[in-house]
Amino acid sequence: MASRPTGTGVGWRPEIASVLAGTAGLGFCEVIAESLDPAADLPAPLRSQAAGGTTVIPHGVHLSLGGTEPVDPARVTHLAACAAAVDAPIVSEHVAFVRAGGREAGHLLPLPRTRDALDVLAANIARTRTELDAELAVEPIAALFDWPEDEFTEAEFLTRLLDRTGALLLLDVANVHANAVNRGRDARADLDAMPLDRIAYCHVAGGARHDGYYHDTHTDPMPAPVLDLLAHLVQRCPTVPPVMLERDGRHPPAAALRAELAAIAAVTGHPAPHELPAGSERPGVGSRR
Amino acid sequence: MNGGDRPGLAARQAALIEALVAGGPYPDGLDTARLDATRRALLRKRAGRVARAWPLLAAAHGTDWTRVFHARFDGVAPTDPVREGWDLARELRAAGTLPAAAASELAGREAAMRYDGRSAPRRRSRPAAALRRLLERSRG
Repeated sequence: MASRPTGTGVGWRPEIASVLAGTAGLGFCEVIAESLDPAADLPAPLRSQAAGGTTVIPHGVHLSLGGTEPVDPARVTHLAACAAAVDAPIVSEHVAFVRAGGREAGHLLPLPRTRDALDVLAANIARTRTELDAELAVEPIAALFDWPEDEFTEAEFLTRLLDRTGALLLLDVANVHANAVNRGRDARADLDAMPLDRIAYCHVAGGARHDGYYHDTHTDPMPAPVLDLLAHLVQRCPTVPPVMLERDGRHPPAAALRAELAAIAAVTGHPAPHELPAGSERPGVGSRR
Repeated sequence: MNGGDRPGLAARQAALIEALVAGGPYPDGLDTARLDATRRALLRKRAGRVARAWPLLAAAHGTDWTRVFHARFDGVAPTDPVREGWDLARELRAAGTLPAAAASELAGREAAMRYDGRSAPRRRSRPAAALRRLLERSRG
């Protein structure tokens, strides 16, 4: 099994594969599980990353761990096969639901933070882990609204969930920022309350404002408050967790993307990924796919 | 904590998704302005997926794409990105407002696949596809 993620990482996407192939010093990368076909060959650039020793973490987005129907066994099998294909030490999914009543929402939706929802999550996490050799980390999402039936704060809810299931925490610092900003709360206080001792790794990203709210769209450069909140997290953690950039649209030029990775490393103190000298790209990564 | 609560959660989740993507009423007790913003965020993501499935259709509309997509699909239950782009392209063609680049994209799809407007498009047999392409060209 590949080693646990370390240092500075990135969400691997086909659109930035060539930039990443020309980047040295990536500690790990994450790939959207639903974009992989574990029965076929991995995309060549991703295969090269894995062969070069970069830990690859499959990241599921459609499992719907918070859905009241049991997780789809085919989706669990697929996630486990992805983990096996990249020899992943960890896979991740979300504390959310994406379908109900036969309809797909098209994106992650927040759960009411109730005992009932904890039961649902714990059962689905248990079902998922029966097939996984890798550890499971779960990620709290950014949401614009809360349910009136909430019994817990988000930090209380997560702490109970992780205590009960033994799952690890994928902490998205940008989501903490977004949730706090959109509710007029102090992001640092929200972050301090999180079960930080359970962190496997962290996400950061940049978003955009729409309809008067901050949306964690992964389409823009990281705003200063997200990096400031990351710096706060670094101060709070005895061991600095691995941190990765998510970018899912309006992909920037290579230099700008590497500058974002360097900005993360400057905050965490991890080694900064940097451009490989021309001509020294890893073999096989030149193919566009 | 008893099993009787479970349908409550299931029903609340189903009602929320129905409201956000299929035009259902907003569930009780939720902030409507925040649900409006969530509904539009889901539509933007949906428009992005359709744009990837129909790149010329989206590109031909430029910055107007999101508005055109939202006008057609806000409150309309999702099918899948290929079908949604296909439905929209056909409707714009019928209305005479389909941009030329998008029209050629649609013609290419219609030559290769058969889509009845209700279920997943199916690939045409090779001779049928070739014949359609010929006819399309002769129409010109």
